[in-house]
Amino acid sequence: MNSFRLLEHTADMGIAAEGETLAALFQQAALGLRQIITACTDIQPSQEILVEVQGQDREELLVNWLSELLFLLESRQFLPAAFEIDSVTDYQLRARVRGETLDADRHYLEREIKAVTYHQIKVEETASGWRAQVFVDL
Amino acid sequence: MSVKVQQIDACRWRIPREGAMRTDGLVFADRAMMAVLQKEKALEQVRNVATLPGIVGPSIAMPDIHWGYGFPIGGVAAFDAEQGVVSPGGVGYDINCGVRLLRTELTVGEVRPWIEKLADELFRNVPSGIGSHRRDLKLSVAEERKVLTKGARWAVENGFGRAEDLEHIEEKGTLAGADPEVISDRALERGRNQLGTLGSGNHFLEVDLVEEIGDQQAANVLGLFPGQVTVTIHTGSRGLGYQVCDDHLRMMLHAASKYGIELPDRQLCCAPLNSPEGKQYLAAMACAANFAFANRQLITAWVRESFERVLGKSSDELRISVIYDVCHNIAKMETHQFEGQTRRLCVHRKGATRAFPPGHADTPELYRSVGQPVLIPGDMGRYSYVLVGTQGAFEETFGSTCHGAGRVLSRHAAKKLARGRNIEAELAARGIIIRASSRATLAEEISESYKDVLDVVNVVEQAGIGKIVARLRPLAVIKG
Repeated sequence: MNSFRLLEHTADMGIAAEGETLAALFQQAALGLRQIITACTDIQPSQEILVEVQGQDREELLVNWLSELLFLLESRQFLPAAFEIDSVTDYQLRARVRGETLDADRHYLEREIKAVTYHQIKVEETASGWRAQVFVDL
Repeated sequence: MSVKVQQIDACRWRIPREGAMRTDGLVFADRAMMAVLQKEKALEQVRNVATLPGIVGPSIAMPDIHWGYGFPIGGVAAFDAEQGVVSPGGVGYDINCGVRLLRTELTVGEVRPWIEKLADELFRNVPSGIGSHRRDLKLSVAEERKVLTKGARWAVENGFGRAEDLEHIEEKGTLAGADPEVISDRALERGRNQLGTLGSGNHFLEVDLVEEIGDQQAANVLGLFPGQVTVTIHTGSRGLGYQVCDDHLRMMLHAASKYGIELPDRQLCCAPLNSPEGKQYLAAMACAANFAFANRQLITAWVRESFERVLGKSSDELRISVIYDVCHNIAKMETHQFEGQTRRLCVHRKGATRAFPPGHADTPELYRSVGQPVLIPGDMGRYSYVLVGTQGAFEETFGSTCHGAGRVLSRHAAKKLARGRNIEAELAARGIIIRASSRATLAEEISESYKDVLDVVNVVEQAGIGKIVARLRPLAVIKG
């Protein structure tokens, strides 16, 4: 099943994601990241940004993917609504992220994520697909 | 996995060396704190740090220790300049996150009638929360590079503050060895709009009152008196620092395998201090540290401006000055005596504060008779402490002490506890005004989220690695 839940950490938070495919897993992790940042549901998928990231392995790829989304939010004020993973291998991911420019009148951001960490990071294949765990620094 | 601990005395515990550990762990905590710690993972992290090459003395944990990434928060570890390593995870994402304390000549009676207005003005004047920044501060890339080299000095040269402010900042507000050439475009981009911003989460700006003096002589030297109004600023290097850490973690993951360093946790990735990777990280870290010093200096200028506007007094009348500014996420090359020898060490302080003793050359001249001021914020509903460094800290903890209260509740647990309560009204009933950009922050930062900072500073004082000078109580709190 494709899903995510947020994990408890004394000072920070984590994401536990599951996906039937590696692409679904990375999509769920991105949805988890957005959930930490905002509970806002009114995000229009009016712009599309192509994202391409690399990593030395799946764990690093996951960190780099989520870090890219943080960068887009922080530096380009791009708030994502939906994530389409076009292709993903152990070392490279291509995705289309749809969303819109942050609008302080409509969008309420709950938390600032400083970074995506390697702490206790896991990307594992399971009997039914894939599972990942990643913590963020708040 | 439980970690074996042996009690040394009322406030010290040893994690004996075993397995891959190269040295013991040393934890400062009372019995109650240790009971809580043993259920957590922070002690495993103290043990993990003890496995890193070139560590000198024990892997140390302060009483405000909690579970961090790689290194625990509240951790101190010193590494030999030749044989040791430097680890971005031993500094943290928020490089030179730190605290600055300002003094005023005002008493609480003079400020109380204006406190609502002052809180509004500070909230308006100092950007806080996600995405907020001063529109009148635009940095070119060339100018941003100057900030990275000069730190707080850049701010003073550009009209934000006075030259004498620099005398009362750790490293005088400029950490040497910064090289902007090693900073990624991405880090520069993340930093550009965030200079002079508070951020969110546990960062804050507070108007406090000096509630109690613990050491009259030191208080006199620091210029603190009962009933006095002070201002505390807690923030760091913002997106620039987070990106510098991120960039170098990636580099260090490869470096660690290149140099054959075995890591119990990826987040502990590191490189030898004398390797190209180690040197590059230190040069980049210094840039981020300088960004943070400049950040706190800009905010200081806007605090002064806000007080002048609201109270209708000139800067000469108000005489708002910097008592001190400390880093609590940093790695620094320092000279220490260890087992009778003079050693050049890279001291990592992650959620720990430098606490140099009276007489030390790096303690500002004004404070040399009492020791370096150490600023320990508590939570927004209780109190904070001002301490001074001691000879005990210099001898036992490489001149380091605690940095704050330390979280005890996860954000989820805090939110649950805050549900249905009016936190703003609760604080108001205690005489504390709050302005926050995020409701989530307000709930997650309730007092119950943190240890009682008094317990933390009591352990520190009992252990002789810090001396209490004064207790501050918040009057107005600005949160991101």
